[in-house]
Amino acid sequence: GDSWGIFTFLCAALCNLPALPALNCTEELGAGQSIQKTYDLTRYLEHQLRTLAGTYLNYLGPPFNEPDFNPPRLARAERVPSATVDLDLWRGLTDNARLAANYRAYSRLLCYLRALDGQAGTAELRHRLGHFCSSLQGLVLSIAGVMSSLGYPLPVGPAGPPAPPGTSVAPNDFLKKMDDFWLLKELQTWLWRSAKDFNRLKKKVPPAVVTLRLEARGF
Amino acid sequence: LPPPFLSPAADPAVISPQDPTLLIGSSLVATCTVSPAFHLRAEDLYWTLNGRRLPAASYAALGPTTLSVALAHLNGSKQQSGDNLVCHSRDGGILAGSCLYVGLPPEKPVNITCWSKNMKDLTCKWAPGTEGETFLHTNYTLKYKLRWYGRDNTCQEYHTAGPYSCHIPKDLALFTPYEIWVEASNRLGVAVSDVVMLDILDVVTTDPPPDVHVSRVGDLEDQLSVRWSSPPALKDFLFQAKYQIQYRVEDSSEWKVVDDVGNQTSCRLAGLRPGTVYFVQVRCNPFGIYGSKKAGIWSDWSNPTAASTPRSERATGGCDPKGGEQNTTLRRELKQFFGWVKKHAYGCSNLGIKLYDQWRVWLQKSHKTRNQV
Repeated sequence: GDSWGIFTFLCAALCNLPALPALNCTEELGAGQSIQKTYDLTRYLEHQLRTLAGTYLNYLGPPFNEPDFNPPRLARAERVPSATVDLDLWRGLTDNARLAANYRAYSRLLCYLRALDGQAGTAELRHRLGHFCSSLQGLVLSIAGVMSSLGYPLPVGPAGPPAPPGTSVAPNDFLKKMDDFWLLKELQTWLWRSAKDFNRLKKKVPPAVVTLRLEARGF
Repeated sequence: LPPPFLSPAADPAVISPQDPTLLIGSSLVATCTVSPAFHLRAEDLYWTLNGRRLPAASYAALGPTTLSVALAHLNGSKQQSGDNLVCHSRDGGILAGSCLYVGLPPEKPVNITCWSKNMKDLTCKWAPGTEGETFLHTNYTLKYKLRWYGRDNTCQEYHTAGPYSCHIPKDLALFTPYEIWVEASNRLGVAVSDVVMLDILDVVTTDPPPDVHVSRVGDLEDQLSVRWSSPPALKDFLFQAKYQIQYRVEDSSEWKVVDDVGNQTSCRLAGLRPGTVYFVQVRCNPFGIYGSKKAGIWSDWSNPTAASTPRSERATGGCDPKGGEQNTTLRRELKQFFGWVKKHAYGCSNLGIKLYDQWRVWLQKSHKTRNQV
C-alpha cells in the first residue's frame, strides 16, 4: 500500500539524487557548514565586542567602566531580551526554538545598538560601532540562513524595538547611560550563550548528512 | 544571579539638577531625594563623582529624605558624555544619577582652506579655535552661499579629509564667488568663524597625470626621457597647466625636483648616474584655468615609475693607441715579466715596458699605412 509506494520513491530518489529539483539538496548539505560559520561569527563578534565595550564604557566614564560595576537593572531595561535562562529549559529547547530565540534576540539588539547616539563620542568610537553593527547584521543573516536551510520559518513580528509610549527613551542622561551599559552586557551574555547554542546544533547536524523531506502527496 | 528588578512605578530617588550644563570653575549644590517607598533616610545616603566618594563634610541633610552635596570650582568634564554624579544608599546601591557637563563655550574655528577636484566638488577643512579643548562635545557645521544670492546652504558630508572637514559633492556654480564659514556649537554656546570668500576656479586641483612612461634615450648613460598625458578630467582646459617632476635613485629617499617643466607633456632628465634605477613621479597644477589669475592646487604625485640608465658594456679605453692604457691586463703582465727578467736574466736590461709600448705604436702606424695603400 502506501508504505510500498514510499519505499519505491525513496529508492528512486536515492538513485536519482541530482535529477530531483524539488529536494534542493545543496541547501541541506550546507546546513552543517552554515552552523559552523555562524558559530565562528559569534566567536568573532565576542572578540570584537570586548574592544568596543571597553571603548564605549570608557566614554561613559567611571563607574561604568569599573570591572565590578553592577547597577540595578531597572524595569525599563527589560526591553533588551535576556540571554539568561534556566539550564533545563535551555537543554530542552528544540532546534527551531533555539535558533528562533537567537534570531529574535540579535534582531532586537541590532536595532538598539544602531540607535546608540550617533553624534556621541569620538569618530573612532562611531567607526567601531558602525563596524560592529555590520558584523552583527551578518550574524542575523547567517542565523536566518541556517533556519531556512533546515526548513524552519523565520520568526515573524516586529524586528525593531516595541515602543510602548513613554518608556522607549530613557528620561534622563544618566538612565540612558545605564541602558547603554545593560545593552552591552546583554550582548556579551548572548554571544557567550550563542556559542554554546551553535555548538549544540553542530553536533546534531553534522556536515555530511543529507536529509530527505517527504511531503505526503498521493502516496 | 542577575540583580533584582526594581519596581517600575517609582524611581528610587530623584536628583536635582538633572543633567546640568556648567561653566568651568562654577560651583554646584545638588540634592538627592529618596522615594518614600524605599524607607531610606538622608543619613543612609552618600555621593560619588566619577566613581570616587565625595567627602561627608560637603553633605547637608535638607530634610528627612533629602541629602545635598556642595561641589566647588568644578574642573572640565572628565569625559564628553558628562561627569557621573551618583546618589547611593549605604550598601553601595545606586539610587539615582545626574550627568554634569562642565566646560567652555566653543572658540571661532580658524584656517578654513578649500579645494575643488576638477571643478566638480568642494572640500574644506578648518581648525578648532586656539584652545581646542572645550570638554564638551562640539558640533561643527560648514555653511556656504553664493555672494549676492540669499540662500544659506549647509554641508552634509563631514570627516572626509580629517576630523574637521566637509565635502560638498555637487551643485556648485562657477564664476561667482562663494562665502564660506564654519559654526561651532556646544551646550554652552555658539561661535562662528570669519567668512572666507573664494572662487571655485581659484582652488582647482586635479588627478595626477596618467600614463607616465620613463625610457632611455638611446645609449646615453646619463639621461632618461619622461612622457605623460594631461589629466583626462581637465584635458580640454589645461592650456596653461604646470607640471613638476621629482625623481630619486632607487636606494635613496632624497627626491630631486624639476620645477620648470612648463606645460609640455614630456621632459628629459640629464646628469644621471649610469646603470642606476630611478623612480620618477609627475604632478600637475591646473594653473590659470578659465582665465583665473591664480595658481591652482598641485595634484597628488603619480604612482612612481621606474627605469634604469644604461651602463656601457665595453672596458674603458678600447683600441685607441693614443693616451696610453691599452689592454691593461696584458700590459700589467708584461710589466711583471720584464721586472722578473731584469732580476733574473743579467744582460737583457734593455728589455722593458717602454720598449713594448714603442713596439705597439710602430705596429699601429704600419697597420694604418698598410690600410691606406
